[in-house]
Amino acid sequence: MTEATRADRVWTVVSAHANSLHVPVSLRLLCQAAAARLPVSGVAVSVHSGRVVSEVLCAIGPLSRELEELQLTVGEGPSLQVLAGGPSVLVSELDSAEQQARWPLFAAAAVEAGVRALFALPLRLGAIRVGVFVLSSDRPGWLPAEDLAEAWVFAEFALRLVLDGLAGVDSQGGDPLVDWLSDSRPEIHQATGMISVQLGVGIAEAFSRLRARAFAQGRPLSELAADIVARRQRFDSKHTS
Amino acid sequence: MRRRPIIMARVPFGDDTMANERLARTLVELADTLVDDFDQVEFQHRLVDRCMELLAVSAAGLLLGDSCDRLRVMASSAENIHLLELFQLQNHEGPCLDCYLTGAPVSHPDLSLASDRWPLFAPAATESGFRTVHALPMRLRSQVIGALNLFHTDSHALAPEITQIGQALADVATIGLIQERALHQQHVLVDQLQTALDSRVLIEQAKGILAERHHIDPTNAFALLRTYARDHNQRLTKLAATVIDGSTTATELLASAPATTSGQGFSPHPQPDAKDRQ
Repeated sequence: MTEATRADRVWTVVSAHANSLHVPVSLRLLCQAAAARLPVSGVAVSVHSGRVVSEVLCAIGPLSRELEELQLTVGEGPSLQVLAGGPSVLVSELDSAEQQARWPLFAAAAVEAGVRALFALPLRLGAIRVGVFVLSSDRPGWLPAEDLAEAWVFAEFALRLVLDGLAGVDSQGGDPLVDWLSDSRPEIHQATGMISVQLGVGIAEAFSRLRARAFAQGRPLSELAADIVARRQRFDSKHTS
Repeated sequence: MRRRPIIMARVPFGDDTMANERLARTLVELADTLVDDFDQVEFQHRLVDRCMELLAVSAAGLLLGDSCDRLRVMASSAENIHLLELFQLQNHEGPCLDCYLTGAPVSHPDLSLASDRWPLFAPAATESGFRTVHALPMRLRSQVIGALNLFHTDSHALAPEITQIGQALADVATIGLIQERALHQQHVLVDQLQTALDSRVLIEQAKGILAERHHIDPTNAFALLRTYARDHNQRLTKLAATVIDGSTTATELLASAPATTSGQGFSPHPQPDAKDRQ
């Protein structure tokens, strides 16, 4: 499993795309790579925004931005549902009585615009919820299971890029895969909770601060997290940073 | 240096009738739990606890594969750091990984002789005091979604009937994870696994908040959450979310902790290295 895991495969696709353009990995590049890799016609990322319900951070494909903005206009739709804290929304055929009944305004308008299938995955990590990763298609039908699993991996990468962006952390050039395996370790999330209390900040910011310090110290995230949990390092004292 | 065994070996049951009764009781109890909107995390922990009792093993863990192909711990019989490390290590090599990749049960009767097969895992497990290991697949038709990992401090292989019971419990764990609604849809499976894995993350974050607020360790923080959830008939994930958003305070959780446990388990401990920070 150390080689060619699904995460490796997805990261290879994203970084190859970045290399071919001689630019660092960004959210836009990640979405482009997802659009090229998966059998969809559009990819978008919308996030919570202070002033409005959501903000489209990135949209690839002719219809994907329109699709996100349409939901803001009519006040309903899958992205808004996910942004409101809901689970993923997977729709294989928008042009059906069931979906038209679910979103009377949105479904009709989306079909009219040419969108038939739609898969909205939350950008979430426990209590951290920053936005939604949306795949759309001009043809009806489910994403094959393997593609959907890859979509979740793209969404995980997107979450980290968005969080780093919101926290003003420059992780460019940092390879998220370096920490990929250890990223799932429980102490990372325990440390996140501890840091949020130490700094009096939200859980999302605490996670970004943890990542930023690990990046600055050039240490694996899990190692720093273990130090926090064992109370060898804190975030509210300059003496330990 | 050889570490102390994480859990002392238990006396295996000898009496068939008693064993059968216990198994029947467990299956009924677990089936009763699988009602609408049940508490996934509590269910998995209960299942691991029952594995310990029924199979008389020294440690047990439930691992799930995520979209990234990582094996992640959903429930563990102890939050011991060495045990968690053994689970984590199996992202590189070990019986769980072999079991996850092949879909077949994997056992080894004597880990002290398994260094050729698992050069990282076998010595680490031996050092933690374990001799026997078993990994039983969590299978949904052709797909393997995870594994039930059992450790024993004795070098005895599990008896076949015990392996069967272990597999039955692994199957129950699988059923618990896959909620009834849309078993026929492959994409829903991916979705439900992600949701289950994420609920674990939520709980870890809440444990961190409680640990920091009350200077307790994460294991005790989890015990607090579990006790409170049970006493107030709340789902663990829901409770964890309210701890994180601040609507359930650590003080409320501590207030509801039973006196017996709060005496020894939840006492605040001093910050060990306060001196270093001067």
